[in-house]
Amino acid sequence: MAIMKMKRLRLMLVRSRKEEVLRELAKLGCVEFSELEGELQESGLSDQVKRESSALMALKAKQASLEHAVELLNQYAPVKGKLLEAKPELSNETLLDASGIDEALEKAREIAALDERVRRDAAEETRLRGSIESLTPWKELDMPLETEGTERTSVLLGSISARIPLGQVQAALAEASEEAELFAVSEDKNAHYVLVLCMREALTAVQECLRGFGFTAAALSGLKGTAKQCIDSAGQSLKDLARERAELGAQIADQAVFRDDLKLAADQVCTQVSLAEAEEKLYGTESVVVLEGWCPAEREEGLSRLFERYDCAWDTRDPTEEEYPDVPVKLKNNALTNALNMVTNMYSLPAYNGVDPNPLMAPFFILFYGLMMADMGYGILMIAAALVALKKLKPREGSLSFCQILLYCGISTFIMGALTGGLFGDLPYQLVHMFNPGSTWQGLPYLFNPLAEGGAEPVLYGAMVLGFIQLNTGMVINFVKKKRRGQLASAIFEEGSLWIILLGGVLFLLPKLGLLAIPEKIGLVILIVGVVCLLFGAGREAKGFGKVTAAIGCVYNTVTGWFGDILSYSRIMALMLAGSVVGQVFNSIAAMPSAKGVTVFSIIAFLVIFLIGHALNFALNLLGCFVHDLRLQCLEYFGKFYEDGGRPFNPLRLRTKYARPREN
Amino acid sequence: MDFTSIFNGYALGLLGAGLAAALACSGSALGTGYAGQAGAGLVSEDPSKFGKAMILQVIPGTQGLYGFVIWFLAFNKLVPGMDIAQGWQIFGACLPIGIGGLISGAAQGKVAASSINILAKKPDDWSKGMILCITVEFYAILSLLASFMMLNGISI
Repeated sequence: MAIMKMKRLRLMLVRSRKEEVLRELAKLGCVEFSELEGELQESGLSDQVKRESSALMALKAKQASLEHAVELLNQYAPVKGKLLEAKPELSNETLLDASGIDEALEKAREIAALDERVRRDAAEETRLRGSIESLTPWKELDMPLETEGTERTSVLLGSISARIPLGQVQAALAEASEEAELFAVSEDKNAHYVLVLCMREALTAVQECLRGFGFTAAALSGLKGTAKQCIDSAGQSLKDLARERAELGAQIADQAVFRDDLKLAADQVCTQVSLAEAEEKLYGTESVVVLEGWCPAEREEGLSRLFERYDCAWDTRDPTEEEYPDVPVKLKNNALTNALNMVTNMYSLPAYNGVDPNPLMAPFFILFYGLMMADMGYGILMIAAALVALKKLKPREGSLSFCQILLYCGISTFIMGALTGGLFGDLPYQLVHMFNPGSTWQGLPYLFNPLAEGGAEPVLYGAMVLGFIQLNTGMVINFVKKKRRGQLASAIFEEGSLWIILLGGVLFLLPKLGLLAIPEKIGLVILIVGVVCLLFGAGREAKGFGKVTAAIGCVYNTVTGWFGDILSYSRIMALMLAGSVVGQVFNSIAAMPSAKGVTVFSIIAFLVIFLIGHALNFALNLLGCFVHDLRLQCLEYFGKFYEDGGRPFNPLRLRTKYARPREN
Repeated sequence: MDFTSIFNGYALGLLGAGLAAALACSGSALGTGYAGQAGAGLVSEDPSKFGKAMILQVIPGTQGLYGFVIWFLAFNKLVPGMDIAQGWQIFGACLPIGIGGLISGAAQGKVAASSINILAKKPDDWSKGMILCITVEFYAILSLLASFMMLNGISI
């Protein structure tokens, strides 16, 4: 529940044990390797010490080819998997084993070759279809297409725009050469397809004349026989190709028995890729290899046990303050705060010397979400979905936090639903009145309900009070953080004076509202003292005229900032209200067909409208409440204390795609 | 036929309720239209992204739903023979979701269309596009609430 302490690790080991140690480190999964480039240049040793090379590129190519083969198998022989199924688990030894990879690669190559043939066939099919299309206008022509003419005559085949009347062309041709003749073969909405016969010596004149009408010679060179024969033979080839393609597809599908082998090999290569990536960050001489990196302090013992087994020299030290920006950040969580990782990761991890926001945010996030959603029915749906996913998928890391947050927010939604009397909107009320129109029942009891007469205002004020509490919590956190860093003065002048102002404001307002019997002046004096403190604090570090601008800026930011922040919490009430209004309207629409008496038809109509309407409303609110809750946390709350900019801890570990490493 | 039989409260109320639904639905139509065009472009390149593109497309569809909700509530309040003042009240109460829904629906559609770019170029980060869309949604929700609370305050 804090940011894990990290240690800088330095390790030197003999080259012969390099691979073995890397594998063991990957199994432990607790060391992040750093780049050493800069330090090496400073030390002046860059002549003797060289960066390690690895087979990274070759491995990545292997990985791509295996994954491509799996994709092809999925495409030609889709797996009918269960909807929710956890990824299979593999032991570390299996993942680090490389014996089956070559065989799998061979299979992958075969599958890729088959697919390549399928694609070549598909390209050929496209070409044939195109040629059939261009031949179709000449189908009626019973003259072999290769005919160029006789000893004395020439033949021209081509098209003329459909907009030009053929009679006009014929007349022009007759003028150009007496013996020229034009035959219309066919026409479509774009063009006339024509055959022109002429004497050889008149060819140039005829072509000249035709060009004037935009005559385009048909591109039919290389074809033998009549158009009909060509079309028929192309059609035959198409059939053959389709059959061949189906056969090839079936051959690929036959390889599906090797799918698991391919997946296993892909994961093994994936593991090798991560090892190779780590290896490229190492430096070494002929006999020694050096690595530097970060490891969590609590894992140091495990590391020392590992290093004892090998010939190596190593040490660890705490990071210096200058190094803080480079230290990777890992949050240590329990089951409750782990859920909030999803939120923190979406925003940004805290700086290494910052505060872990998860435990500080968890109660607010979950409470606010419940208030915004506030419906027992939706709450139960969320809880059920989360429990099913947790049981079936056995999620880890990111998806685990997602399931957890869904579960906690579901519980909170259910409780708030019970307090506002919401069950799928006002379902019980509608049902009772549907079956018993004379009923005087007013619906489920509630503690607060924005839809009730005059109920919206208390909820609105309540939302702002919650905001006030959260913002003050943020300021307390900041106060403590500053005090720990020895910036007590800044803490007192900034957070402290704001509290004085707030106290003064309350003491000033309460007597005005007649809620407290003390003179208003006390509050006013405290208020002014607070403002003076704030002004003094703001001007403390500025000089000369800067003091004035800093002070004015500070007051402006404080006042507008606080107003804006508090008002922003009204969204809690807005979302609560909007969700239940939409739900209730769907319920009343669903109940309408039953208004003149309940029949089988009216009940079916009720169910259909109810299901569609609430599915929409549920999906929208699920997302909407999350986003607005996120905004309240990340903008209003974090704004008071949070320092982000942490770099996530990314240790060398066994990485996989299809299976996952078994947890030790 | 005298003037009040044409220009009466009932007609004004109907006009308001109709505008609430029509304007807000137009906003959604514009918004889902923009997003749908962008989505179709992406799906033509990569049909496997259809599901996510569709989710982004339907996000600007909620304004129409809100408009319909207000139409329903307003329509339920209308009774033939109500006076002109009451008609104006209903008319006024219907305006926020009509205008707010029209403009926010179109604006949200543009964000959704741009978010489809995220889906195309950085598929892992597409959910961030969804969050950008929901920011616009808030103003549609506020319009809905303004209309709803005003309608609630009118007694016929």
